Amino acid sequence: MNSRERVLKVFRKEPVDRVPCFSGMGNITETGINKLGYRFAGIHLDAKQMAETAATTYKLFGYECGVVPVDLCVEAEAMGCVINVYPQAEGILYPTIKEKLIHNEAEMDTIKLPEGLSEKGRIPLMREAIGLLKADIGKEVAIGSYVLGPFTLAGQIMELNDLLKLSFKKADKVAKLLDLCADAIILVAKEYEKAGVDFITVREMGATSDVLSPRVFKSLILPPLQKVMKALSVFSVLHICGKTNEIVTSMMEAGPTAISVEQKNDVAESRKKLGPDAIIFGNMDAYNVLVSGSEEIVRQSVRKCIDDGVSGVWPGCDIWPTVPPQNMEAMMDEVKKYGGKK
Amino acid sequence: MVDDARKNEIYEKLKNGVIQYDEDACREGAQEAVDAGLDANEAIFDGLVSGMEEVGRLFEAQEYFVPEILMCADALYAGLDILKPHCKQMDLGVKGSVVIGTVEGDVHDIGKNLVKMMFDVAGFNVYDLGRDVPLDKFVDEQLKTDSEIVCLSAMMTTSMVGMPKIIEKIKAKNPDCMIMIGGAPTSKELADKWGADGYAEDASNALKEAIKMVAFLKKLREEKLKK
Repeated sequence: MNSRERVLKVFRKEPVDRVPCFSGMGNITETGINKLGYRFAGIHLDAKQMAETAATTYKLFGYECGVVPVDLCVEAEAMGCVINVYPQAEGILYPTIKEKLIHNEAEMDTIKLPEGLSEKGRIPLMREAIGLLKADIGKEVAIGSYVLGPFTLAGQIMELNDLLKLSFKKADKVAKLLDLCADAIILVAKEYEKAGVDFITVREMGATSDVLSPRVFKSLILPPLQKVMKALSVFSVLHICGKTNEIVTSMMEAGPTAISVEQKNDVAESRKKLGPDAIIFGNMDAYNVLVSGSEEIVRQSVRKCIDDGVSGVWPGCDIWPTVPPQNMEAMMDEVKKYGGKK
Repeated sequence: MVDDARKNEIYEKLKNGVIQYDEDACREGAQEAVDAGLDANEAIFDGLVSGMEEVGRLFEAQEYFVPEILMCADALYAGLDILKPHCKQMDLGVKGSVVIGTVEGDVHDIGKNLVKMMFDVAGFNVYDLGRDVPLDKFVDEQLKTDSEIVCLSAMMTTSMVGMPKIIEKIKAKNPDCMIMIGGAPTSKELADKWGADGYAEDASNALKEAIKMVAFLKKLREEKLKK
């Protein structure tokens, strides 16, 4: 059973020899970038560099997927936002949104999706990168991509501050905007599907229950998420950061194939709540363990994730590129040793 | 001067205005306090800050979430804007200035703004550098303003790693400067490792930490008044 088969079997809820170790979020490493001689700021704007870099985490460490893009600005950019890739930065700075689309409440009503969204911004580049990545390692590992969730995207195209307040004061207006964001996300995700991805992760990071009440999650965040999930044809994963134990059931109601959570979620609890059949990824601390921890802590953490019942060892956020190579190796090795015991 | 009953009524109005995120009530209450000749500092602490302390408690009890807090903050500022010009200089021995901002690579500033609010309330000179701030700007601004405190915020793991560089540079030039770091990915361990003096992991914790700080000032003030 190769990595690709293993991951796809997990999605299909078929038996596997051991849990896989992969994720649907960013996972490029400085080790990989340096090996190719690229600069971090450059790989967001070049399909070949992006695809080659994305393949290194599998090639160097055996991480069981290939995922593009690397940043979180693709959809907002296609909708018309201006992004900053920090071309001069020495270290690693992820692109951010420089210019928003909506500047005041009135503009929430007039905003429209641009004509031909699937040709805007870096969408064509993304299609190319997915194609290249698939041609390179697509027979050996599952190829994934990610889109933002409607609320997180809305928080990029307008002031998050205003969006949060209006979610409370003018929920109808926000619901309308989220529906429009859902449409944009679907258009983008469909392009990724056409380009050949095996699975898509929807990252609704901004809607964590650290920020919004479970009640608002149900009434406002869930409906557009359901719309997105329903439109996807490939396997789908819904990821939400922060304390998510209160909303894991709602996350499932959104209709993804699997859910992904971070370290603040008590996965043993989530497993109990959702039952043995639910596919739950995540929980592996992508920074404090994987980057800052010792190899032994990485190994312990892998075992704990597996004992708690994850369906795949999956860092709960983008892997920070400065991850020490020995920690990546320890994670992979421990999954191989321990991942079949449960 | 007004009697205690009227004074308390006004303070209650300010307090409830903050809790119920009622900007108009805070504006009215603040104006009433000014018209009645009440001590503006007292109105801020016993009215507005008192309300924010309760908001912090409601947040902890998960009755309030971030949208509510943001609205409460707006209400607090509505009152503060009116009261501030009437504030006397407070000599609390800790009064000073603070440089605050979100580090380069991060455009999230909710936590930063909440902390800033509490510094505003406490009468600090706040040098707000905004968001996505180049690292050297913090160092320059600290030197320029000789601020006692520098607050660095980052919500994304991806931007947090710039922090140790700033801390090192500031501490090298000015070892007494206190540095607070904040944001979802930060932790006590990281603060210790990087040599920061304090940390708050999210907007609510930042608010809590800042409230604690201001509550401490409030206590100092009360003790001072008793003497």
